[in-house]
Amino acid sequence: MKQALYLPLWLSFWVSLFIMPAQASVDIQTWQTSNGAKVLYVYAPELPMVDVELLLDAGSARDGKSYGLAALTNSLIGTQTPNWDENALTEKLSALGVQLGQSVGRDSAALSFRSLTRTDILNPGFDLFVELATQAQFNPAIVAREKARLTVALQQKQSQPSALMGDALWAELYGEHPYAHPVSGSLETIDSLTAQQLEDFYRQYYVAANAQVTLVGAVSRAQARTMAERLTRSLATGEKPRLLPQPGVLTRASQKHIPFKATQTQYRLAQLGVQRGDPDYYALFLGNHLLGGSGFGSLLMEEVREKRGLVYGVSSGFYPMKVPGPFLIGLSTQNASIAKADQVVKATLEDFMKGFSEEKLADIKSNLMGGFPLRIDSNAKILGYVSMIGFYDLPLDYLEQFPKKMAALDKARVLAAWQKRIHPDTMLTLTLGMSPTLDTSGDAN
Amino acid sequence: MKSRKMIKELNQIILFVMMTVGVIPAHATLTKFELTNGMQVLVKEDHRAPVVVQQVWYRVGSTYEHGGITGLSHMLEHMMFKGTKRYKAGEFSKRVSKLGGQENAFTSYDYTAYYQVVGRQHLETVMALEADRMRNLVLKEADFQTERDVIAEERRMRTEDNPRSKLYELFRASAFLNSPSHHPVIGWMSDIQNYTLQDLKSWYQQWYAPNNATLVVVGDVDPQQVFEWAKRYYGVHSPEKIDPPKPQIEVTQSGQRRIELKAAVQSPTLMMGFHTPSLVTATDLQEVYALSVLASVLAGDDSARFNKNLIREQKVLASASARYDETSRATSLFTLSATPAQDKTLADAEAAIWQALQQLQSSLIKPKDLQKILAQAEAQYVFHQDSIEAQAMILGSLTSIGLPIETYDQWIERLRQVTPEQVQAVAKKYFSKDSVTVASLKPNGDVALSKPYKSFHGGQR
Repeated sequence: MKQALYLPLWLSFWVSLFIMPAQASVDIQTWQTSNGAKVLYVYAPELPMVDVELLLDAGSARDGKSYGLAALTNSLIGTQTPNWDENALTEKLSALGVQLGQSVGRDSAALSFRSLTRTDILNPGFDLFVELATQAQFNPAIVAREKARLTVALQQKQSQPSALMGDALWAELYGEHPYAHPVSGSLETIDSLTAQQLEDFYRQYYVAANAQVTLVGAVSRAQARTMAERLTRSLATGEKPRLLPQPGVLTRASQKHIPFKATQTQYRLAQLGVQRGDPDYYALFLGNHLLGGSGFGSLLMEEVREKRGLVYGVSSGFYPMKVPGPFLIGLSTQNASIAKADQVVKATLEDFMKGFSEEKLADIKSNLMGGFPLRIDSNAKILGYVSMIGFYDLPLDYLEQFPKKMAALDKARVLAAWQKRIHPDTMLTLTLGMSPTLDTSGDAN
Repeated sequence: MKSRKMIKELNQIILFVMMTVGVIPAHATLTKFELTNGMQVLVKEDHRAPVVVQQVWYRVGSTYEHGGITGLSHMLEHMMFKGTKRYKAGEFSKRVSKLGGQENAFTSYDYTAYYQVVGRQHLETVMALEADRMRNLVLKEADFQTERDVIAEERRMRTEDNPRSKLYELFRASAFLNSPSHHPVIGWMSDIQNYTLQDLKSWYQQWYAPNNATLVVVGDVDPQQVFEWAKRYYGVHSPEKIDPPKPQIEVTQSGQRRIELKAAVQSPTLMMGFHTPSLVTATDLQEVYALSVLASVLAGDDSARFNKNLIREQKVLASASARYDETSRATSLFTLSATPAQDKTLADAEAAIWQALQQLQSSLIKPKDLQKILAQAEAQYVFHQDSIEAQAMILGSLTSIGLPIETYDQWIERLRQVTPEQVQAVAKKYFSKDSVTVASLKPNGDVALSKPYKSFHGGQR
């Protein structure tokens, strides 16, 4: 299956034209492979390297009742193929100096490949990537070993307060929804996972109809086309999985404390946020930047850290996903300070939703528009955005439009979006630590 | 959660970055200047995007501190955002934010650095701002008290509530007895709680001077223009008389040191460390390169010996790493960390690691092991040019510990000269049972989470 990756002559002219201006935009090209996988490609000729990502709608939301299945399946890829065993695969990747990445979230699973574009490296390296990604085998002995290693990692998590808090937050916010359980499963659920289940999951979800290939780097469009074909051609066509159900919305305020022995209490104030593509997202994003999404200078940082010294870090954020992801405010503070921190956070959120100065709005708009070139100043960042645009079916000019959308927003529209979508009176307050009592009388001072 | 002003374990970044050298491509030119006040200026052009990073590095960090004021460099780093004669507290960050910039700072063992990433048209503005706080900081009692609370929370978050961080802190403190590498970058809690405003003022006066700093600019810039601005903004400051820290050479270790920490954990952790030379302290630099190769042979990637033999074949470890800081100002510590596999003990893990070390002492590594490491180093060199910040980081850190920046360009060449015999020789010389420090994290029988949290097995709605 050797195919030369070479640069056609006519392309070199185009290359030299393209190199000249350092322009702050991303030219995304897209097409489908012959068996239906979506391809996104950005030509980045400056460095002799290429990034390739195979992204699948195969995150933990597809676990069913077998929590941890998607993550374990992804982590086993690269351990065996029809031609090579684990030692041969790791040895070959290492000898070429190519990098293999694997990651799983709730919405998606990714396999990524980074290589120099020198043909004596890229050709054999990419062959290897194609084989391990599309012809994975699930050896029961390796599955057993990886489950044992995962068990140790999950035991370690039992002493990591912020990781535990993360699990608790998703569980409380999502109830019976497929987002509710931890991505890597739990000590109770991973034990029963079998090699056969992993293989079945792989056969169902690692298919062309469910796959997206993103390429960024110094390869021509023709090369990219060939590479995308090679990567997807041994995948079954398969089909797209069904849409995820919508999560249920919290209808009243709730509060939950998880006792944990530590010097600090972890704190989260949360509710459901928005899904990708939601038209309100721009206004919510801008407002969030002001509230707690932009580090120093954000209102929460000013009130909780700068004025009162209660925390090292505090932030707020929307995590838009296939269906509404969380909106949350998070911090950790010494156990004795938690009631105070809770009051300040809630008062800051409520004040913010009543209004903010035009000057603050102008400053944050200036930040968002001025910061645009920084978001796309490396291949790695470009790949991240392009992959997101493809996976969530956002318009191809999403990146270019973003600063324009920010510029067009005014205070009234930001506040209207927040008032419509965020409901301080029905939020979930979660604490994990040694301070069970929060004063709910609401007098922040 | 994203937090500000992190202490980065910079040695890790440097290790990564140092593994990545080859030939500088034609478009990446590096220009060096020195201002008349002694400030060094390094400019590297990278015109891929209309973006630029400015970093200012001060030669001061936790290894410059003595007992009682540990963590003071880090506290000063926090206070650098609290305003100057010209700008009030928080103004620096607000101005950078308005430009669409990103900024932060970090403190490490041997240096403290401040950086901003901005669109190229804003470089002059951030240079003016950074130059202002080099000498004009206003330290106020009220800000100091509040910020001290912030740092106490930072320590709680990073160390007190993280058993493995705590183990690492004790491990270093045991491996280094009399040299300042003994104490943690963030400082001991009791020192944090007893700094005075005067401590900070003196520290600032003593170390924040142009002749103790390096300006690094990487991005879409014209070096001559950067030099002009550097003269205009940084050139106005007078140099300070800098008394370099006293040598405080670590005592020779003769005999094993063992320490244990008990905590509410379910699985144990092992750390083993050996004093080793760095590029600054070595009498034979080739030893440093050989040790660097050795770290990769043990745990460089999935094909390395720990991964292949101890994790996959013998299944004695669940995870393992090797860490060697080649660019430490003082004696370095070659550190091996491991988590035993589920049914294995700390003793099993330790025995397995010794076996791997003894194998390196008794037999030569293969030429293909060396080739692999070179292939990765060459690829990494290109990969990390994808980030202007990573490029600036290398220049700033090397200069701050007194190494020539050419160290970086010569890295792969020096690795190429490493022979299997040299690797065996350093393994024999430095990995002795009489010079190891072993730290163990053991379960104390308690559980932090009093009852397992299971609500995801059946939600509340």
